[in-house]
Amino acid sequence: MTQVRLADLTKIFDDDFAAVNDLSLDIESGTLTALLGPSGCGKTTTMKMIAGLLRPTAGDIYFNDNSILDIAPEKRGAVMVFQNYLLFPYMNVGDNIGFGLKMRRVDKREIRRRVAEMLELVQLPGIEKRKPSQLSGGQQQRVALARALIVEPNVLLLDEPLSNLDAHLRDEMRELVRSIQRELQITTIFVTHDQEEAVVLADEIALMFDGVLQQYAPPAEFFEAPSTVAIARFFGGLNFIPGTLENGAIHCPCGSFQAPKSGVKAGVSTLSIRPEAIQLGGRGHNDVEGVIRSHVYVGRYARFRIDIGEFQVEAVTEPSQVQHHQDGSTVTLHFPPEKIWVLPPEEEHKDEGNESAG
Amino acid sequence: MRFPSPQTDRGRQNLRIALLLTPAISLIILLFMGGLLMGFIRSLNYFPLIGLNEPNLEAYRLVFTDREFFASFLLTFHIAFTSTVIASILAVGAALLLRPTFRGKKIISFFFQMNLTFPHLVGAIGILFLFSQSGFLARILTNADVISRPSEFPALIYDRYAIGIILQYIWKEIPFIGVIVLAVLQSVGEDYEAVAQSLGANRWQRFRYVTLPLIMPGVLSASVIVFAFTFGAYEIPFLLGRSYPAALPVLAVRSYTDVDLAAKPQAMAMAMVIAVLATMMILAYMNLTRRYVRSS
Amino acid sequence: MASIQSATQLREKLPFNWGSLLRWLGIAMLLLWLIAPMIPLFIWSIAYRWFFPNILPASYNMRAWEYAFSPAAGALESLYITTYIAVVVTLLSILVGVPAGRALGLHRFRGKRIIELLILSPTIIPSLAVILGIHVVFIRLGIANSVLGVILVHLIPGLPYMTLVMAGVFANYDPQFEEQARSLGAGPIATIWYVMIPTVMPGIIVGGLFTFLISWAQYITTLIIGGGRVQTLPLKLFNFVSSTDYPVTGALGIIFIAPGVLVLLLTSRYLTGRSAVGGIGNI
Repeated sequence: MTQVRLADLTKIFDDDFAAVNDLSLDIESGTLTALLGPSGCGKTTTMKMIAGLLRPTAGDIYFNDNSILDIAPEKRGAVMVFQNYLLFPYMNVGDNIGFGLKMRRVDKREIRRRVAEMLELVQLPGIEKRKPSQLSGGQQQRVALARALIVEPNVLLLDEPLSNLDAHLRDEMRELVRSIQRELQITTIFVTHDQEEAVVLADEIALMFDGVLQQYAPPAEFFEAPSTVAIARFFGGLNFIPGTLENGAIHCPCGSFQAPKSGVKAGVSTLSIRPEAIQLGGRGHNDVEGVIRSHVYVGRYARFRIDIGEFQVEAVTEPSQVQHHQDGSTVTLHFPPEKIWVLPPEEEHKDEGNESAG
Repeated sequence: MRFPSPQTDRGRQNLRIALLLTPAISLIILLFMGGLLMGFIRSLNYFPLIGLNEPNLEAYRLVFTDREFFASFLLTFHIAFTSTVIASILAVGAALLLRPTFRGKKIISFFFQMNLTFPHLVGAIGILFLFSQSGFLARILTNADVISRPSEFPALIYDRYAIGIILQYIWKEIPFIGVIVLAVLQSVGEDYEAVAQSLGANRWQRFRYVTLPLIMPGVLSASVIVFAFTFGAYEIPFLLGRSYPAALPVLAVRSYTDVDLAAKPQAMAMAMVIAVLATMMILAYMNLTRRYVRSS
Repeated sequence: MASIQSATQLREKLPFNWGSLLRWLGIAMLLLWLIAPMIPLFIWSIAYRWFFPNILPASYNMRAWEYAFSPAAGALESLYITTYIAVVVTLLSILVGVPAGRALGLHRFRGKRIIELLILSPTIIPSLAVILGIHVVFIRLGIANSVLGVILVHLIPGLPYMTLVMAGVFANYDPQFEEQARSLGAGPIATIWYVMIPTVMPGIIVGGLFTFLISWAQYITTLIIGGGRVQTLPLKLFNFVSSTDYPVTGALGIIFIAPGVLVLLLTSRYLTGRSAVGGIGNI
């Protein structure tokens, strides 16, 4: 049971590039935490600092309130599973999994027993004698996981654990990781650039942009209560209309809307509403007129682009709506008050929520 | 529309491969294998042009009954084996030293590679000037009052143990093996060692169980080349070695350039023996080491 | 940032520790060992009256250098013929070794192992063992004692390196680039010239460097096949060592290593490339 605390962790490369900037995180023992962000946001650097493969420029890392900075990586018990598995090519599966125990000079028979146990756990019993080159990607991933778990790590670090797998293997692996983590109650931190992966797998998500922590919260909060426009964008938010918040209502150039839920108190702010929350057809309140610019029929749903004055919003609706609305026609939209989330105004010249950034 | 059948497709592919290989293969067969075969024929005392029509093994009998031949073989083996082992170990050390990035790495790497371009002959002259009893080192030691006369400086050139020869080979082959090991290290990266460290391997364990097995195939390949070269080289033992016993190649050339024509088949026989010995030793070595690489 | 993702830095720059001190000591010793034999070589070339036990000569002059560059020494002639032979050998090796390297690096076929062994055999069987037999053949063909004969025998030790390096490079070569070029309208020769050659150029340079240096340094093959008529630099140098004229030996020795260093200066950035040198590690 290990609780991990990062305190003002900073890593500066080449004297001027801050890969990780003043990062503080409290990670509860036994939880599964995702470090999420676009590539280049500093998440892998953070993980390597926890593993001890990189030394922080400033700040500290605590396991159960003890600083581990001066503990050699091999003695931290923070085991990292690399994205490309890195099974030693000259060893068979059994020797690969038993590696950590051999380094700890565990008795050979004991190693053999534990290796067999681990292979059961990752659902690949009896393949000790095979070479890594004879395994599929999914099998290699499981072996790499078993190799890390056998040393009973304090903290398990997974670098993009699912990114090299096919879609169907990904679901299988996701469930396996989740169930093993629950069963063994190992504090696990994983790095990913895929928000869906983070949402499905993690108890808590730490979202980072450009080395800076943006929000640290359970997955649902990133959809329901993101703290900035950039975060909302990263999680698929598309509709942002600037306005002013006053007495539980936001006044935009195109109209005023009841907005009981808000991340800001009052003043200049941004209205946000997810595409699937917008309803076509008025309800008499929180309505706004728009002109349909274009639409696509996707099958399971339909997507409309609608101009509201100088702003454009996207609405995702029932597929049947395509029959009732033509491009160019005027439509009344309803923004349900409980689906509106008010954000601080969007900072200018920043486009970091884009997944391709970095 | 007709599709080419897989058969003719493969036929065309094989033809292309054959065409690509033909120049190299014919060159090696004609020159290398031809030379070997001709040497073999002549070693059997078979030379119809001057009336020798009956092949026999007389030359081989002479070679194997010559006492200098055995002394020469032992000496040559000692030179090749000792040089290869020491150079390989030091080269791995040098490669590990030069592996991480540090200030001045470019310049030091250049010196390392520069050595690669020096001909062995120049190295031999340098070693001679440096280590002979009146050489540069002896001069320095005399001035430091460690020795008072050239004869007090240990005989490293023309000596019994062929130390000068071995020093020269070590000097020249460390960069050769080192450059190959560095290339291997660069291509495997440092991530395997990071994994091992994360799993609890300390510095020595990382070297022993990860780095070494990863570079071993490269070291073995390079050391095979070095062994073969040092076993068959002529000019270094000629310049830095004793005349009795001389290294096998020196012995072979000596009898080949002998004015006595009758010595020529003997030289040819010795050339054949060198070829067979070199091949046998390298096959045995590769067999032994392959097993090691597989089992570790 | 991408570099951080791929390369893990195991060792970080730390202000001071014993490990790094030891490392620097090791590097210094390595460097000293590498250049030590060249120091007396250089001093001898400009020494005038260098008696034991003086560490440095009593005085210096350029006699050895003047002599080395005078027509009487024949060193310039040797420099020319050595360069000529090495360049021709290198070009021929490229012509023969690049196709062979392509076949071995790119294709799998029956008997490949045997072909590999055959091409490798000159690195394992000492060339001295075959040179005597070749001499007999060359005498009969009338190309003994000729530059042509010397060029042919220099190909034997050079070709395996060229082929090995190229096989290593072609193993990482994607022939789909050629198909792309063909579909864009390039003919077979244009494809080789504009696609294949530029792509495998680093390998050609490294392989060429090795072949050049191997030919450049040949002694016994040149002596036997050239019969003393083809006086390359190593033969000249050998004569001077035996004559114990150390200053001229030193000067010739430096002349002998200069072109190699020059070629390396032009090509060293390719030597650290993994695929090119790595080919040799694949026996």
